[in-house]
Amino acid sequence: MKLHRLLTALLVLCMACKKDVQDQKGTLQITFKNVVNGAPLKLNTSNYTNAAGETFTISTFKYYISNITLIKLDNSELKLPAAYYLVNETDSASKVISIPAPGGEYRAISFMLGVDSTRNVSGAQTDALDPVNGMFWSWNSGYIMAKLEGTSPASTAASNALTFHIGGFSGRYNALQTIQLVSPISLSVSEIRKPQITINADAYTWFNQPNLIRFQTTSTIHVPGEDALKVATNYRNMFRITDVTDL
Amino acid sequence: MTRYLIYTACLFLLIWSCRRGTDVKPGPQPYTLNLPSNFPQPVYDMSQNPLTVQGVALGRRLFYDPRLSRDSTISCGFCHQQFAAFAHFDHPLSHGIDNNTGFRSVPGLFNLIWQREFMWDGGVNHLEIQPLTPITDPNEMGEDLARLIAKLNGDAKYRSLFNGAFGAGEINSQKVFKALAQFMATMNSFDSKYDSVMRNAPGAKFTTEEENGYKIFQNKCASCHKEPLFTDGSYRNNGLPINASLHDAGRMRITNNTNDYLKFKVPSLRNIIKSPPYMHDGRFYDIFNVFDHYSEGVIQTPTIDPLLRNGLPLTESEKRELYFFLNTLTDPGFISSKALSEIVITD
Repeated sequence: MKLHRLLTALLVLCMACKKDVQDQKGTLQITFKNVVNGAPLKLNTSNYTNAAGETFTISTFKYYISNITLIKLDNSELKLPAAYYLVNETDSASKVISIPAPGGEYRAISFMLGVDSTRNVSGAQTDALDPVNGMFWSWNSGYIMAKLEGTSPASTAASNALTFHIGGFSGRYNALQTIQLVSPISLSVSEIRKPQITINADAYTWFNQPNLIRFQTTSTIHVPGEDALKVATNYRNMFRITDVTDL
Repeated sequence: MTRYLIYTACLFLLIWSCRRGTDVKPGPQPYTLNLPSNFPQPVYDMSQNPLTVQGVALGRRLFYDPRLSRDSTISCGFCHQQFAAFAHFDHPLSHGIDNNTGFRSVPGLFNLIWQREFMWDGGVNHLEIQPLTPITDPNEMGEDLARLIAKLNGDAKYRSLFNGAFGAGEINSQKVFKALAQFMATMNSFDSKYDSVMRNAPGAKFTTEEENGYKIFQNKCASCHKEPLFTDGSYRNNGLPINASLHDAGRMRITNNTNDYLKFKVPSLRNIIKSPPYMHDGRFYDIFNVFDHYSEGVIQTPTIDPLLRNGLPLTESEKRELYFFLNTLTDPGFISSKALSEIVITD
């Protein structure tokens, strides 16, 4: 009789746990809209002007989003399982990411712009981290965290090229940036509620503050180092939540 | 009677299930790597890429397949020749497609699972990532990674070999790199005369000259060329006069740290007599030129290795004895192993 009771109790406990896990399932959807000084990014065609007054066009714009953390209403942090997303302007599917998230109320979201140091030293990777995506330096192992290419009449490089490959994951030129964005309304995740967030990513910020980048003097960055860190320090200001739909 | 029928049925079922079992295609077979007990633990984590007979064989085929280069002329094995301990015999600088020349010499490939970083400047941080550099470097194999993966996926033979090694699915760069790493993990050299002597193998004994050379080595070379791997994996400026045509900053290229100017990875001395020319730019064709450099040619610059502040003076007889000792580091079994030798790919 005693054993029977114990087993029943155990069964109830197990079922309760199982139900608990099921309740946790939810999704958060983020849509990235790439812009330049607020205007939608148009590859190759639009002429933009940087803060130094130099005109430029953009032909490639992509960046890694990883290490997503949700911030609860009491400011405690919920680190989500490792996931890596490569947002690429030319690939519309890549600009909408669906993040499996536990149910709950969240006031902010934080993520890394780039790929953490662990994945930079863990050998051959797949999917978003596959070097086939052109976001990996082979001669000096490490991910290009963000890439912007284009042209500017001010550039002294061949064909007036702009080549900004920003990376570096260790030492004093560590370019990794962790960004926290507070949501204007709380994000309520559950089995039946799937908040959708729209985030603007503004390429203008790359060359603006705190480090003014003039294309005349800096048009090519393809190594980790001081210049890459300057741009990375600028682009930590590139994201802005513009819309939240709490479905 | 009923019981007898049930037993018979069970027996039949058992035999039938066993028969079905043998029909199932066997998966990849584990490949056992026997490593010497006097070596440290490998750095490369093979639990993340378990070696299999199929994986190693596939890696070997990839290593010797010139189709890994853009114009199908140059394989990994083209520059890494087995008889030279997988260095490039007689070539000071690496070279590749379109008669292009690189700016450093080809390092020998062995004992890579004990290596933390790769290349003369340590720019590559993982064994699996290492092949990416030569495959994509315009001066070497010059191939685009996406194009290479498409090429392999379009080849029925490779599709079947990859399925055999890694299970069904598309070929991707990760599988290519893991297969190459599995083959490279089998390129190990630890059966030289030196090793036999160290293990007290029956009949293994240094000659007097070798013994004297070993003492000189221990006194003057062993702090950088640390036993049993004969390198400590560090980066050092060994006082070579700067090669004005190459302007190679060495390790500083990777770290941006001016303290690393002109520093290069300490190479292993195993199989050294078989793999000339020497130094990061292959400037010395004879090991005696190397001895002369350390003895009389060291140039003092701000980043010179402290151990070389006064050079490493060696008498002519010491150089000769050192030569005899270095000869005992040649591993004849390794440089003639059939398991590592070039395969000609005809399909």
